[in-house]
This record gives sequence, structure tokens and C-alpha cells, in this order.
Amino acid sequence: MRYIFLLFFFPFLVHAQSNPKQLIEAANQRFAKVISYSAAINLNFQIPGVQLEPINGKVYYKKPTKFRIHSKGIIFLPKQNPYYALQSVRDTNSFTAVPSGSEILNGKSTTIISVIPTANSDDLILAKFWIEDARQLIHKVQLTTKTNGTITVEQSFGLFANYGLPDVIKFVVDVAKFKIPKVVAMELNSKSKKTDPENLQKGTGEITLKFSNYILNKQLDESVFEETKK
Amino acid sequence: MFRLLRVELFKIFSKPRSYIGFLAIAAIVMLLEIALYIDGKSYISFILQSLEQSFAVQGNLLNGYLVCFIILQTLIVQMPLLVALVTGDLISGEAASGTLRLMLSRPFSRTQILTAKFAAGSAYTFVLLLCLGVLALGGGVLLFGEGDLIVLKSDSLVILRSNDVLWRYMAALSLAFVSLLTVASFALMLSCFTDNSIGPIVSSMAVIILFTIIGTLDVPLFDKIKPFLFTTHMIIWRNLFDNPIDKLQVYTSVAVLIFHIVLFYTIALIHFNRKDIYT
Repeated sequence: MRYIFLLFFFPFLVHAQSNPKQLIEAANQRFAKVISYSAAINLNFQIPGVQLEPINGKVYYKKPTKFRIHSKGIIFLPKQNPYYALQSVRDTNSFTAVPSGSEILNGKSTTIISVIPTANSDDLILAKFWIEDARQLIHKVQLTTKTNGTITVEQSFGLFANYGLPDVIKFVVDVAKFKIPKVVAMELNSKSKKTDPENLQKGTGEITLKFSNYILNKQLDESVFEETKK
Repeated sequence: MFRLLRVELFKIFSKPRSYIGFLAIAAIVMLLEIALYIDGKSYISFILQSLEQSFAVQGNLLNGYLVCFIILQTLIVQMPLLVALVTGDLISGEAASGTLRLMLSRPFSRTQILTAKFAAGSAYTFVLLLCLGVLALGGGVLLFGEGDLIVLKSDSLVILRSNDVLWRYMAALSLAFVSLLTVASFALMLSCFTDNSIGPIVSSMAVIILFTIIGTLDVPLFDKIKPFLFTTHMIIWRNLFDNPIDKLQVYTSVAVLIFHIVLFYTIALIHFNRKDIYT
């Protein structure tokens, strides 16, 4: 009887644990409903060696990869757009997904899935997704890239969770210590500071994007995605 | 007194030497602005290279405010020399040309004459600084537009939002005026002690260069001397571009500079009033 019970339920137990591609696909399906959006954005920066106040702006997105933030001042952004991880796993044949356990994140039960791209040409070496079991929302992604080291993206959701659109995205990026010659900075009469060993540990910068007033799937002019003057 | 001041101003602005400062400032500012206009992007890339490895930096980085900041930093060494060129000549120049005795025979006290000369020297300094401000800030904004200011430091970057910059420049130029007034009073003091015009000018320049070198050298022996050198406090304008501003440091430096101005002027006044005039 016990064996019959196990035989009956085994496929379901295996399904939850060993079908990570379907979980990723489900998360992708949510976001696939978004063709374009515009929203108000607030950017907050915690970058070692850079003192930069928060700033507001407007953000535009258009499927598949167009993403642009308009703000009146200087902003630092991650090199990848916020949906880089999702875009990398759009084609389910282009990667191998391995379940790597589970974790409670922001009070939600998540499944951890490691993704290894099959093609060697991609910048992505390894991605780790924390996907909420109940709503198939990606709460955290850890990307290991060839060019930019490790990038962690943490997301929290609100009103637009049905579309997979987060209210807050926090990027944690590896940062090299900022240093320019004193002659270039023209720092006369300034005493050189002794290197604080604790400062050397601080090799990560954080950028937090807070989204509000999403307007979904409205026609966006191409000009909003054009490069601004540097 | 105002007539005396007008005469002194006329004397300053009728000398070709007085225009060297304006020409030098115009040349340096224009040269830097043209250079940054042509090749500024590579300069910015050089500064931000370590950050651009990790981030995409977006916005008008090379703007008029940054250009003005670079110019002010570059000219900080030259400006006192240009001021000393004129103010170091105010008394000794008269003595060298043989007009000092004649001037003192007029119905004005020596204190009034020296005060008028100092006021004229201060006015010259103000106009010189105004010229720098208009060319560097006005020209910079005209050529490069407005934007957030990147304040360059050897180990960090302070980025100030554009709406928070203009008042800092006004305050920085006011502080620079107090700094240059210290140099003017120092050169005027030296000018009272000699009868040739080159001596005080060269001596002022030499002292400024020496003090600046002492301030720049990172030698522990000089650390105790640095706070007492007026050149240390002359670059306090830079502190106005910190966020938050160390107000105590700014007030202290302003007080030190004003103390030096009063000290140099008093020494000049005492000596000039007691001086035997032979020429």
C-alpha cells in the first residue's frame, strides 16, 4: 500500500523539486505580459568612494531589451539592465537549470535554482535564482559575469506583482577602490589618509531603484530610449 | 578719502603691468576651456575609469560647473602671484620713482594714504577675481551647459546636484577674495619696507611658493607648522564643495586669514607712519 502511495505521489514530489526550468518559465511568463512601461523612479546610491544624493526620474522599458532612465542629474547604474537575468533565460534550451535548495526570503518560501548557460559566448557564467514558490516571483538573483564580477539583484513586489514588476530593485555590485593621483585632483595641502583595513573590505556598491506609478503597455516613443549626452 | 582712492585706482589701472593678471587669467581660462571642449571626455573617462568598470555613468558629466572647478583649482597657485605683482608695488613703486615724498606732502595723513592704497589694491583684487569668475563660470556654463558638479578628490568623488552648486561658487569666490586680500596685505607690508618695486613682489612670490611647498609636502616635521601658514588656509574655498561642509574649519580659516590681514596691515601702517622718506 505504501509503495502504491509513493508511486502515485512521486511525480508530483519530483515535479516541485526537479523541474526548475518550469519555475523559471513561469516567472518569465508573468513578465512576458509586459510589452512596455513607464514609471516614476527614485534612485539611491551607496557606492564606496562616491558621495551622491538620491535623485528622482522617469524610467521607460520596451520589450525585449530597451530600458532607459531619464533624470536631471548624474546617476550610476549597473551595466546590465534590471531584466538582464530574465532575458538570459528566455530560451529554455540555452541553459541548464539545477535546483540548489530552498530559503525563506522576505517571509516568502523560495526555491533556489542555479542556471548555467550552455553557450560559452555569453557574458553570464552562472546565475542563481531565488523564486517564490507560491507566485513564481523572482526575489533574488545572483549573477556571475565574465566582465563585471558578481552582481546581486534583490527585488520586492507590490501592486504589480502579477506582471512580475517589482516596486524596489536593489543591485549589489563589486566595486574597485576609487583612487586618482593627487596631482589630477589638485589636492594641495591635504594630508594622505592611512588606508583603513576595514575600507578595503568594502568592495561592493549598492544602487536601489524604487518604482512607482507604473503605466503598462502604452505606446512609447522611440526617442525616449536614445542616449543622453555624457 | 574717496578722491584719494580714485587717484590710487587710476594709478593702478594706468600701469600696463596691472593688465598682465587679466591677460594671464583670460589665456589660462580659454586654453583650459578649449582643451576640455575638445578632449574633456577622455579626461572624464580617466577619472572615472575604476568606477566605469562596474557602473554605467549617465548624465552631463562634463559641464560648466566642473570646468569652472578645474580652472579654479589650476589657478589657485597663480592668482596670489598676480595679486602680488600689483600690490607689492604700491608703496615701493612710488619710492622707486621718486613720487612718494611728493605724495606725502599733500594734505592727507600717512594712514589715509596707506589705507587708500590698500583699498585700491583690494579693488584690483576684486576685479581680477570677478574676471576669473565670469570667464570660468560664465564661459564654462555657456560652452558646456549646466549639470551636477563632480568634485574631484584623490580617494573619493563628491557629486553635488546642480541646484546646490551656484551658491557654493559665490561663497567660494568670496572666500578666495579674503585669501587674496591676505596676499595683498602681505605684499603691501613688504612694499613699505623697501624702496625698490621688484623686491617686495619677488619676496611675496617667494614666500607664497615656499609656504605652498611646505603645505604640499607630506612630511611629519611640517605638520606642526602648516596650521600657522596663511597659504594653508587660502585653499579653504575647496571645503565649500564638501557635503556636509565642515563649517568650523571654514570659520577657523576665515578667522586666521582675517587675523593675518589685520596683522600685515597694522605692521605696514606702523612702519609707514614712522618711516623716514628720502625719495
